[in-house]
Amino acid sequence: MNKKPVVLLVLDILSLVFLAVAAYLALSFAPMEVNMGNVQKVFYFHVANAWVGMLGFIAAGVAGIAYLRSQDPKWDIVEVAAVEISLVFFLIAIVLGSIWAKPVWNTWWTWEPRLTTAAITEMIYLAYFMLRGGIEDPNRRGRFSAVYTLVGAVSVPITFMAIRLFRTIHPVVIGSQTSQAQGGFNMSPDMKVAFFFSLFTFTVIFVDLFWHRIRLGILASKVEELKLKVME
Amino acid sequence: MSIIPPETTNYMIAGYAVFFGVFIIFITSMAVRWSNLKRDLQALEEIEKEKKS
Repeated sequence: MNKKPVVLLVLDILSLVFLAVAAYLALSFAPMEVNMGNVQKVFYFHVANAWVGMLGFIAAGVAGIAYLRSQDPKWDIVEVAAVEISLVFFLIAIVLGSIWAKPVWNTWWTWEPRLTTAAITEMIYLAYFMLRGGIEDPNRRGRFSAVYTLVGAVSVPITFMAIRLFRTIHPVVIGSQTSQAQGGFNMSPDMKVAFFFSLFTFTVIFVDLFWHRIRLGILASKVEELKLKVME
Repeated sequence: MSIIPPETTNYMIAGYAVFFGVFIIFITSMAVRWSNLKRDLQALEEIEKEKKS
């Protein structure tokens, strides 16, 4: 537990290098979009953050199932790690989207289907920590949290599909655009390079942070165990 | 006729500043929590050792 695995160290370094390359590709390599100007470059990190946010929420749901099946506390640690990291990435995605929307939609926020479902998803997982904070018994807390992440995971496909199912002004990146979409654009090959590299980079960063957060959770439970032992 | 793109560079800078700001705060919070827990663990192990002896 004390020593950092070599693979994790390599992942740390790769994450930093990839992040630098992704930032370069987004800011310098990808061309400026003519209708939106430089703000369009926010899109590369916005989508990548949303992607890993959703990935983590789904991972938390899977960890929840594993916990309910096995009652093994390690799955509870995995679940908390996934939710915490995704909450941060998803919040960044929402804020970046809002910054992009201001010059393109002429508003920081509008209650259209994608933004609404994304905000609800973020709030669902914020409430997850409130729920955990309110339950003292670890077994009960684990069970309740696992069920909660399972129910919460439903919000992820709804958020993802919102722009494909409802009339919305939010552009669709992959798939056909609705006629109401504002701020959509066709990606040039250079833009595609920056976009897919960002997705890849954030997936690597997610795995790296997820691993770190799980280690942190294991350490916290070890401290908690020892505290109880010492107090006996 | 060429289209002149709107000047939206400030928004782009704000976006990336938010990303890097939040990202750095989160990583720092993980590092601080890790070092606090390590310190707690060390202290508890010492107490346990003293108790045993």
